[in-house]
Amino acid sequence: MRERLANQLKERRTELGLTQAELAERVGVTRKTVNTVENGVFTPSALLAIKLAQTLSVPVEILFWIER
Amino acid sequence: MNDFTIGLLAGLAGVLVIAAILKLRARNKPMSIAEKAEYLSKRRARMLPALAVIFLSQQATFFSQMSGGTHVSAEGAKISAWLVLSVVLLLGLATKGFWLEPKEVRELVDDENTRANRTEAMQWGFLFAMGSAIAVYVLTMIEVVTGREAVHIVISFGIAAALLRWGVLEKRALRDA
Repeated sequence: MRERLANQLKERRTELGLTQAELAERVGVTRKTVNTVENGVFTPSALLAIKLAQTLSVPVEILFWIER
Repeated sequence: MNDFTIGLLAGLAGVLVIAAILKLRARNKPMSIAEKAEYLSKRRARMLPALAVIFLSQQATFFSQMSGGTHVSAEGAKISAWLVLSVVLLLGLATKGFWLEPKEVRELVDDENTRANRTEAMQWGFLFAMGSAIAVYVLTMIEVVTGREAVHIVISFGIAAALLRWGVLEKRALRDA
């Protein structure tokens, strides 16, 4: 069965009124990386996932989950 | 000074001129580190496929001369220039590139997604290099292929495939960004 890492990055980011560029700057990556994670094109490392969760003040397991 | 040395120097001069032009163009735009990384990221996505095409089209000179290893003297310079370009492109693929940029910008422009894309591009490059090596091996059964020609083909296809793949992945990543 094919699994993918789903996320609610965009929803949470929008809630906090952050742009992709602002979020990217806070976690130390480019806007491109945030964009690819949001779109599900790129699966982030545990390090980046935790950084994103901390920046968006949400537990990492709420921000990311496995979709089957 | 022989043709090969002239070619090497011409290749190096060409690389330096291109680097200087790119640096001068970017200097007129005051940007933060993040903006600069974004700008360079987009520029790289545009440049990679173009570089692959230029690199491959440059090979036309060499392959048109392929006749059992006899290359006319004037082509020596072009072959040396190709060698310089190959080394520069290979270094660009293997390192973060943007060697003239500050460390912070280089770190940011080679972030997690870029590293993943670069790794996949290198895998493609390796597979294409191996594939072309196998093709050359088969070709030697029906035609004479010199060592230099074989190396030229393997390097050309390996590097061009990696550049193209990296360009495609970077463009895809920037979509909707």
